Amino acid sequence: MNMSIRSIGLYIHIPFCFSKCPYCDFFSIVTTDEQLPRRYLTAIRRELEIYSQKIKESELLSIYIGGGTPTLLEGKQLEEILINCFRYFHIREGMEITVEGNPGTIDKEKVKILCQAGVNRISLGAQSFNDKVLKKIGRIHSKQDILNSYQWIREAGFNNVNLDIMFALPGQSKKDLEKTLWEAVQLKPEHISLYALSIEPGTPLAYLIEKGIIKLPSDDFSNELFSTAIDILSAYGYEHYEISNFALPGKRCIHNELYWKNQSYLGIGAGASSYIDGKRYQNYRDLSKYILLLDYGILPIAYQEILSLRERMAEKVILQLRMMDGLAKEDFQEQFKVPIEKIFYEPLQKLKEQGLLAEKETHYFLTRRGISLANNVFMEFLD
Amino acid sequence: MNIITKVENIRNFSIIAHIDHGKSTIADRILELTEAISPRERREQILDNMDLEREKGITIKSKAVRLLYKSLHGQHYIFNLIDTPGHVDFSYEVSRSLAACEGALLVVDAAQGVQAQTIANVQMALENNLSIITVINKIDLPTADPEKVSKEIKNIKGLEDSPIFLASAKEGTGIREILEAIIQYIPYPRGSLSKPLQALIFDSVYNSYQGSIVYVRIVNGLVKPGMKILTMSNQKSYEVSEVGVFTPKRKRVEQLAVGEVGYLTAGFKDINLTKVGDTITNADYSAEQQLPGYKKVTPMVFCSFYPVENEDYQNLKYALEKLSLNDSAISYIPENSPALGFGFRCGFLGLLHMEIIQERLEREYKIQLIATTPSVLYRVHLKNKQIMEINNPSLLPEINVIDFIEEPFIVLTLISPGQFLGGIMELLQDRRGVFQNLEYLDKDRARLVYQMPLNEIMLDFYDRIKSLSKGYASIDYQIIGYQRSMLMKVDILVNQEVVDNLSFICHKDKAYERARKLVDNLKTVIPHQLFEVPIQARINNKIIARSTVKALKKNVLAKCYGGDITRKRKLLEKQKAGKRRMKRIGKVEIPQEAFMSILKID
Repeated sequence: MNMSIRSIGLYIHIPFCFSKCPYCDFFSIVTTDEQLPRRYLTAIRRELEIYSQKIKESELLSIYIGGGTPTLLEGKQLEEILINCFRYFHIREGMEITVEGNPGTIDKEKVKILCQAGVNRISLGAQSFNDKVLKKIGRIHSKQDILNSYQWIREAGFNNVNLDIMFALPGQSKKDLEKTLWEAVQLKPEHISLYALSIEPGTPLAYLIEKGIIKLPSDDFSNELFSTAIDILSAYGYEHYEISNFALPGKRCIHNELYWKNQSYLGIGAGASSYIDGKRYQNYRDLSKYILLLDYGILPIAYQEILSLRERMAEKVILQLRMMDGLAKEDFQEQFKVPIEKIFYEPLQKLKEQGLLAEKETHYFLTRRGISLANNVFMEFLD
Repeated sequence: MNIITKVENIRNFSIIAHIDHGKSTIADRILELTEAISPRERREQILDNMDLEREKGITIKSKAVRLLYKSLHGQHYIFNLIDTPGHVDFSYEVSRSLAACEGALLVVDAAQGVQAQTIANVQMALENNLSIITVINKIDLPTADPEKVSKEIKNIKGLEDSPIFLASAKEGTGIREILEAIIQYIPYPRGSLSKPLQALIFDSVYNSYQGSIVYVRIVNGLVKPGMKILTMSNQKSYEVSEVGVFTPKRKRVEQLAVGEVGYLTAGFKDINLTKVGDTITNADYSAEQQLPGYKKVTPMVFCSFYPVENEDYQNLKYALEKLSLNDSAISYIPENSPALGFGFRCGFLGLLHMEIIQERLEREYKIQLIATTPSVLYRVHLKNKQIMEINNPSLLPEINVIDFIEEPFIVLTLISPGQFLGGIMELLQDRRGVFQNLEYLDKDRARLVYQMPLNEIMLDFYDRIKSLSKGYASIDYQIIGYQRSMLMKVDILVNQEVVDNLSFICHKDKAYERARKLVDNLKTVIPHQLFEVPIQARINNKIIARSTVKALKKNVLAKCYGGDITRKRKLLEKQKAGKRRMKRIGKVEIPQEAFMSILKID
């Protein structure tokens, strides 16, 4: 591959978890092989090295170490990953460096090391502040674990923290969500990601639901919960800036915004995806294969997809509309050298008539109803 | 072949049996023993040559085979074996095939014993004055009980003194005895060579080069190429181009004379003019009378076929044309529906006939079909004394012009072990059945007779009977004519628009229940739209049931990060593709699958 991009976001995938959550379909494994993380880190280093040769000139805009559970690794191991990043790439001064972590895998020492290593943002998988709910969705931690982790993170000096919160959980009441959100905002995190529990095919949860063992809240109710959450978080000064993301002013997640702005990113690690020059790549998920190929200096790319112009246009619109600011007409025009109305006249009109999309002089953006029915909006732009 | 021309040495017979009792296997063994076919050509169920026939194990089109048999006394005989379709839908064809014979082999399964179609077949054979030889087949089965079955047979009216033979077609035992019995018990054909030609058409197939090839039994006189002939029901005349027999390969002969069975071609271009049951005679030396029993076969069961892919419409039309060339009982007229597009309203003899045609369309012509709920042919008596025939509920006129409506009724005969009768009778009651008779064949098997509307067995009837009787009950029915019923038409409205394909005609006592079920069902299969969709059932402007599909509130993917994008896009593309395949009723989008599931539910 021949890469000529100037600046790029870097994602590094750590596919290890203490245990598998029953709703999760992200790529991660539970391993007892103590040597595996070590070998995996070596492979990551090799992959970073190969890419650094290909995109020598480019500059990193952000680093995001996600998983899995990155904090399952030792503090020193995470530090080593960052040292390698700094060694192989140009770094933009003061860029955002996020590490994802789960309560129960974080301790005082670990967060200190991370802070010293240059990490400046922690994303904490809190999910809920109700112990019963946490247990029900298969999390290994308690509310107290969240509070402890959060305190250590702050004590270590982090001033940019995200909390992941889930809603529309089995048996969840409105009151329960309100309480969780209230407890969350008391901690004053800079950022909150709020996800409706989604049922991914093939997960244990999907099976339990299919068998009728677990019942999900109705769409009506989960939509109501969503509205409630938006209201509460807004009241506490959080800006709803993407379908599932809220931030205090100036604290949006820079790395994730790259995805929604349809910009380039490099994904390192097993199963990781990259988007470079209008091409998508995905690495092998198979850890042994991933490690083996890199042992021989071969990029572990499982497949690549070259998007057609039309697909690139549709993705641009869809991703950008996920953001509440919406899609700037000028932005589209600049990237594709054609006005958006020329390409998507019919869907835009239809969606406006249906009250799902609104238009300003400079932007298109989702209405309140359009947010809840975002898939119906996005579909209109696809072939 | 000249050795056998004497009519005394001809035997014409059919094999009749309940489905699966081994009719075709018996035929195969007879063919082998008469050396009509060499072992090389042996293939199971030789007479059934449509794939579908072999697969379903049933015979759809009857065939006639000429066999040479040298008896144990050293005499040569011609046996004409006329294979008949086993199923009630084709009972008219069966009856005409039987009319071409003097005798019948009644095959009864040694384990299952007498079944509903056994009795129906016996009655038909007796009506045609046939001598019946009973063969108890499958005596090799561990569960075989020939003695019990013999008793059951002797209890059938008309079979009290008929001969019974035991056989296992599978193992080839008892076949020789059957062949000797045919000579002994089945009379040779009567008739006169000097009388004007009377040939009974008992089947026909279509061939694009020669037109219809008709299967005939010569009752009087003879026929040979060059003769001018006449089909008596419509007085059309033709010149015979070829006569022959099946051995079972097609083989020309010089002539077919009194008592013989074979085929003839005469440039019959239109299968509708050479109908089964008609009589062929000399054009210039006509018989005085048609042979008895001819009737025009009219379709009794109707349903609409729509191609799943719109572009298959022309193929469907072509396929129906082709199929109807060979099967004059199929009728079809074009229709179109806002929800399903262009299709055909088709008429059939019965449900099995319908199923077979549907499968042939799908299999041989590779057309994916949507078939609507089958309906019967209603007779609508209008106030102006006109009678309107309606096979499609949506065509029913407004109530104020209708005097009354009639629907076809059947007599249903059912044989079942006694222990299941309770549940079965309850079902029949529920299906508007009126009890006629109950008698025991032996101490644990009973024969039940009900009168009921044909419409009541259209949907989910056979399956219900099967499950109620753990598969032991067998059913046969006969259409007995039209009777007046309290019928009403129920319209279904989706978002205030009538959906023609969902309208149905039903008895007034059942209208509410069925309507309720249907609107509730629709509610579960119509996906949430961006607006609220009312679903209503209506009789004469009165809404009798209602449900509502609530507006879609939420359809959003919570997470979308770098690794998700491709997958999420594909997911959306899939959703979109699903949407595109949806059919529209006004502003409402309904997936085709939903439509199909509704059309199949009663």
